Amino acid sequence: MTFEEIYQAYWQKVFRICMGYVNDSDWAKDIAQETFITVWQKLPGFRNESAIGTWIFRIASNQCLRQLEKQKRMPKSELPEQLEMQQDNSNEAQISFLYKCIAELNEVDRIIISLELEDIKQADIAEIVGISESNVRVKIHRIKEKLTEKFKRYEQR
Amino acid sequence: MSSDNHFKSLWNQQSTEIPDSKIVLQKAMQLKKKTRNKLIAMNLMLFATSVFIIAIIIYFDPQMITTKLGVVLTIIAMAVFVTVTNVMNKSLFKSNTAYSAKEYLAQFIRLQQKQEFLHKTMLTLYFILLTLGISLYMIEYAMRMPIWGALLTYGITFAWIALNWFYFRPRTIKKQQAKMKEMIAMLENANRNFNEEN
Repeated sequence: MTFEEIYQAYWQKVFRICMGYVNDSDWAKDIAQETFITVWQKLPGFRNESAIGTWIFRIASNQCLRQLEKQKRMPKSELPEQLEMQQDNSNEAQISFLYKCIAELNEVDRIIISLELEDIKQADIAEIVGISESNVRVKIHRIKEKLTEKFKRYEQR
Repeated sequence: MSSDNHFKSLWNQQSTEIPDSKIVLQKAMQLKKKTRNKLIAMNLMLFATSVFIIAIIIYFDPQMITTKLGVVLTIIAMAVFVTVTNVMNKSLFKSNTAYSAKEYLAQFIRLQQKQEFLHKTMLTLYFILLTLGISLYMIEYAMRMPIWGALLTYGITFAWIALNWFYFRPRTIKKQQAKMKEMIAMLENANRNFNEEN
C-alpha cells in the first residue's frame, strides 16, 4: 500500500479514535496529522509483522497518550453550553453525547472503546493496548454498561 | 437497535474533511527543518563562542595555567549545556511505533523521570563549571590589578554568581521540578488504568 492509499483509507478511522480521546475536533485533527506524519516516516521500515491497521492504530493510540503532555492547555470533553441546553434527541446531539461520554472515561478506557467501536478485533486491541485479551473483554463490557446507563438517562431527560 | 450497534452507528457518523495529504507532509518537512535549523544555530553559536575565547587566549597569550584551565572549564560548561539541551529537544519518542500503549506510557514515565534528574544535575554542574572556569580565568588578570581592583572585580563577579546560584538556580529547578512532578503523577495515574479491573 502506498502512503496515499493508507492515508485515504485510514484518515477517518484515526480521526475518530483521536476524537474519542479528546472530544475536540481541531485537536483531534492535529493528533491525526501527527499520527500520519509518523506513519509516513516509518512506513519504509514497516515489515508486515503486524497488519498495517494494527500498526497505524498503535501509533494513533500512542500519539493520543502523548497528549497527556498538553492536556492542561485545553479543556477536555466540554460541550458548548447551548448544545447542553438543547434537550433534543437529534442524531447530531446523540453523536456529540457519545463522544462526550467517551472523552470522560479514563485514558486507557477511551482508547479501548474507540478501537472497539472502530470494529477492531479484541485480540488486536489487546496487542495495541498491551493488556490481555480477557482484560480487554472485561473492560469493553464495563465501558459499554457505563455508556448504556448514561444514554438511558440522557434519553429520559 | 441494540445499544451496541447503536453506539457503533453513532460513532461512525462522526467524520471530517480529509485534509490534503500533501499539506500534512509539507508540515512535517517544515517542522523537521525548523528543528534541525534550531539545532544547527545553537551548535554554531557554541562553536563561535569557543573560537572567540580561544582567539582571546592566543591574542593575549596568558602566562598562567589557571587562565587556560579557566577557559577550558568555561567551554566545557557551555558544551554540557548545549549537549543537554540538544538531547532533551531531540524527539524522545523515536520508536513509538514499536510499543503497545502500556509500554509506551511506561517509557514515557521513565523518560520524564530521567529528564527530571538530568535537568537538576546538569544545571548544577553547569553552574559549578562556569563558576570555577571564570574564577580561574580571572586570576592572572586580577594579579596585575591593584589589590582594590582585584577585590572589586572578584566581588562583583561572585555577587553575580551568588545571585544566580542562590536565587535563580533554585527557582528554575523548583519550577521545573514542580512541572515534571505533576506530569509524572498524571502519567502514573493514567498508567494505573491498565491494571485496574474496572
